[in-house]
Amino acid sequence: MKTRFTKAAAAVAVAALTAFPLFAAGRGSANFQNFVAIGDSYGAGYESGALNANHQVFSWPAIIARQVGLTLCEPTAVATTNCFAQPLVSGPNNELTLRDLGGTITPSAGGGSPLMLTFGRPYNNLSIPGATVTDVITLTGKSTEGAASQLVLRGLGTEVQLAAAQHPTFIAIWIGGNDLLGATAAGMPALLTPTDKFKASYEAMLDQLIAAAPSAGMVVGTLPTNAQAVPYVSTIPPFLVNGTAPVLGPDGKPIYYVADLGGGNFGQLPAGSFVLLPALAKIRTGYGIPAALGQIPPFNQLPNVGKPLADSDVLTPTEAAAIVTRANEYNAVITAAAAARNIPVADIKGLFDRVVVNPATGAGGINVGPVRLTNAFVTGGFFSLDGVHLTDLGYILFANEYIKAINNGYNAGIPLASITQVFANNGAMFGHEDDSKFNPGSFSITSSAAAQMKAVWSFASASRRFRAASH
Amino acid sequence: MRSLSRTFLLIAFASVAVTGAAFGSGFSIFEQGAKATGMAGAFAATADDPSAIFYNPAGIAQQRQLSISAGATFINFTNQFTGDPNDPFTSGTKGEYERHTFIPPNAYAVIPFGSNLSFGLGVFSGFGLRTDWQDPWVGRFSSRDADLKTLSVNPVIAWQTSDGRFAFGAGYEYRRAKVALNQNLALPFPNPFTGRITDIGNARLSSDWDSSSGWNAGILFKPSERFRIGASYRAPMDIDLKGKADFTQISTGSAQLDAVVGQTFPHDQGISTTIPFPAIMAVGVATTMNSWDIEFDVTHMTWSRFSELPINFETQPDVVRVQDWKDVSAYRLGLNKHASANWDVRLGAVYDENPQPTERVSPLLPDSDRVGATFGAGLHTGPFIIDGSLMVLHFLDRSTEGRNAENFNGEYKTDALLWGVNVGYRF
Repeated sequence: MKTRFTKAAAAVAVAALTAFPLFAAGRGSANFQNFVAIGDSYGAGYESGALNANHQVFSWPAIIARQVGLTLCEPTAVATTNCFAQPLVSGPNNELTLRDLGGTITPSAGGGSPLMLTFGRPYNNLSIPGATVTDVITLTGKSTEGAASQLVLRGLGTEVQLAAAQHPTFIAIWIGGNDLLGATAAGMPALLTPTDKFKASYEAMLDQLIAAAPSAGMVVGTLPTNAQAVPYVSTIPPFLVNGTAPVLGPDGKPIYYVADLGGGNFGQLPAGSFVLLPALAKIRTGYGIPAALGQIPPFNQLPNVGKPLADSDVLTPTEAAAIVTRANEYNAVITAAAAARNIPVADIKGLFDRVVVNPATGAGGINVGPVRLTNAFVTGGFFSLDGVHLTDLGYILFANEYIKAINNGYNAGIPLASITQVFANNGAMFGHEDDSKFNPGSFSITSSAAAQMKAVWSFASASRRFRAASH
Repeated sequence: MRSLSRTFLLIAFASVAVTGAAFGSGFSIFEQGAKATGMAGAFAATADDPSAIFYNPAGIAQQRQLSISAGATFINFTNQFTGDPNDPFTSGTKGEYERHTFIPPNAYAVIPFGSNLSFGLGVFSGFGLRTDWQDPWVGRFSSRDADLKTLSVNPVIAWQTSDGRFAFGAGYEYRRAKVALNQNLALPFPNPFTGRITDIGNARLSSDWDSSSGWNAGILFKPSERFRIGASYRAPMDIDLKGKADFTQISTGSAQLDAVVGQTFPHDQGISTTIPFPAIMAVGVATTMNSWDIEFDVTHMTWSRFSELPINFETQPDVVRVQDWKDVSAYRLGLNKHASANWDVRLGAVYDENPQPTERVSPLLPDSDRVGATFGAGLHTGPFIIDGSLMVLHFLDRSTEGRNAENFNGEYKTDALLWGVNVGYRF
C-alpha cells in the first residue's frame, strides 16, 4: 500500500515536472501529408457496441484528418486514391440502439462486413478495437488472432510496422485504455497490465516509430484516471433502489448488494462500491439482494434472492482505487516518455475529468453551444449506448484535445472540429451538404466485431434519469 | 393652406414605411437628412435645413421661409460571421444576414412666425435594428431575427435674437417602438435516439407598438460671420413594451421525446419588456472659408442605459439578456463646398465608437467601431432643394475573442452602403 502511494506521489510529481514541456516544440513538424493513427477501439470509432462506417467517420483520427484538410476514403477508394483510409465496415453491424425512453436498448438487426478488405495499401487509421499497448507492437492480424486485428492489420504487420511502412509525416497515438479497461470491465484489478510492462511496451512503440520515421511529427494522449465515472461503472447504484431513491433498511441506511468481494470473500458491498452495467440483468432476478429480504414482497418473487453478485460484477472501493492508482502510473509513463522524445501530450485525462458530473453538487459537465455533455448514461451525450465508448460528439471533443496538443506543440493553428457536424441538419451550416457521412451500402453479414457486451443489455434504469435530466 | 396639407401628406407617408437597421452606434440611426449625412452627420452647428429638427432644433430659427423636406436613407449591407477556430461549437461555421434594404424615412416642416420664431415638426425613425440571419444559422439558439422599429414625432419651437447670433430651440418628442425577437430552442442534451443536437422549438416574441415621451433642445451661436457653434441634446427615454410570445414545438423525430419535451415546453403567453434609449448629445463647430463650410462634431450617446434587455413572461421564468453597454462618442467631420450658384458638393468622415463590450457581442446585435466616408450633393433649383448622399461604412472586424457571455464565439465582419435622398421645397 505504502509503495503504491509513494509511486502515485512520484507519478504526480513527474506529471507536474513534465507538464511544462508540453508547450515546447514537438519533434518533427505538423505535416499531415502522410498521416497515420495508432490506437484502440476509440481510435477505430467503435460506438454503441459496434464498429460501422457511420461512426468510423467520427473516429478521433478521422476527425483530425478532416480538420487538417484530408479527405476520408470512400469504400470504393483504391491504393492510389489520395485519402485517409480506415478499415470501413458496413452497418449497422448490430449497433446498440435506444428503442424507447423506457431505456430499452437492443442491437439493430443486421450484421456488418468489411468494405475495404482488399484495399491496396495499409490503412492510415490502424486502430484495433481491444488493443493494448503491447498488442500495438505484437499483433499482426494473422488468422489465429481476433477478428478486429485481422480486420485492421490483415496479416501485413503490427500497427507500428504498418504505420512505419507508410513513410508517415505525422503519427497520432492513443493507446493504453484497454490496459485499464479489461480490469475495469471484469471488476478485477489483477488483470491490469503491470506498469513495468506498460512502460516497456509504450517506449518500444515510440522508439520503433521514431526509428522508422525520425522526422515525423507525433502526438500521444493521457488516459482517463476516473474509469469509475464511465456509465458502464457509474450507472447502477451499489444498493437497492426504488426508482432512484435508495431503499432503506431497518437501520435507516441503504441496503447494499451482496457480492463476492474478492477471493471468495462474500459480504455486503461497502459504501463507495460500483456495480457494473451488465450485472443489472442479474439483479433483476434477485442476485445481490440480501437473503434476509427473501421472504418480503416483492423480493420473494425473484428466484435468485440471497445469491451474491460475482466478483466480476462489482468493483469494491479497494479495487477501484487500485485501478485509479495504476492509471496514474500509466500517465506518468506516458508523459515522461513523451517529454523525453519531445512529443506533445493531449489531455484526455482532463477531458474525462471535466465531463463527469459530481452527483452531490451537480457541478461538472462540458457546455458546448446549446448542449451540456455529461457522463450520464443515454442522456449525457458523451458516452455511447455501450457505456464505455464515446458518441460522435464525444469523439469530436476527444479529437479536439489532440488538435489542441498539436497546435500547442507545433504552433499549428488547426481549427477545432465543431460539434455542429452533428446538428440534425448539419452540412448546410458549412455551406455544403453533409460531407461527414456517406452511405456504406447495405451489406448484411454476421458481425465480426466484438459482440460480447451486447448480450446482457436490456435495461430500464435510464428512463428516470432521462426524465430528471429533461426538467 | 394647400401647402400645409401637402406637408402633412409627406409626414403621413413617412410614418407607414418605417423599418430600421442599426447604423449609428448601437441601434441608433443618425442618418436623418441627406445634406447632414453627406457631411457625415456633422451638422449641429450648421443646422440650416429642416433636418435641424433632428440634429439641432435651434437651427430652424435661422430658417425664415416656410419649408418642407422629406426623404429616406436606403441602407444595404453585407456581413459575415465566421466561427471561432478555437471553439468546438462554431469552428468552421459561417453565417450572414438576409439581404434587406432598410429605408428609415424622414420628413420635416419648418414654419416661421414673425422674424424671430420658428415652429417645426419632424417625423423620423431615429432608432432601429434588424439582424435577420439566413437559415441554416448556427447561432439560431442565440438569435435568428431581431427587429426593432421606432417612429418619432418631434414638434419643436425655436427663437433667435434679432441679430441672429443666438438661437435656442426645444421640442417634445413622441416616440413609439415595436420589437420582435425570434430564436430557436435546443434540446439541452443530444437527442438520445440519434446522438444529434436537435432543435425542439421556436420562440417568436413580438411586441405591440408602445410609446413614451421625451424632449430635445439645442443652441446655436454665431460669434462672427465665419464661425458657428452648436449644441443639442435629445433626452433619454424608456419605452415599456407589451406583447406576446409564440412558442412552436419542433418535432425531434421521436413521438416519445416530443411528448417529454411537450411536458415542459412553454405555452404562448403575454410578455413585456423595456427598451432603454440613450440620450444623444452633439457639440459642433463650423467655419466658412471661401466657398467651403467645414464642421467638426462630437456626438455622444449614453448607451450605458442599455444595461440589460429584460423579457418578462406571464408564466415562464423571466429572461434577462445582460448587455452592459457603455457610453460612447462619434467624431464627425463634414465639408460642404458651394460649387456653383445651384450646386453644393459634400464630403465627410466619421469614426463611431461602439458601446458593446466584447463579452456581449452576439448575433442579436454584433456591433463594432465604424469608420465611414460620406459624399453628397445638393441642387437648388427654384423652390426645390434636392440633396443626395452616399455613406460608405466599414465596421471594424469584431471578434468575441472567445469571451462571449453566451458562449457563442466568432468574428463578425460588416460593411454598409447608405444612399440618402431628400427633396425639399421652400414656399
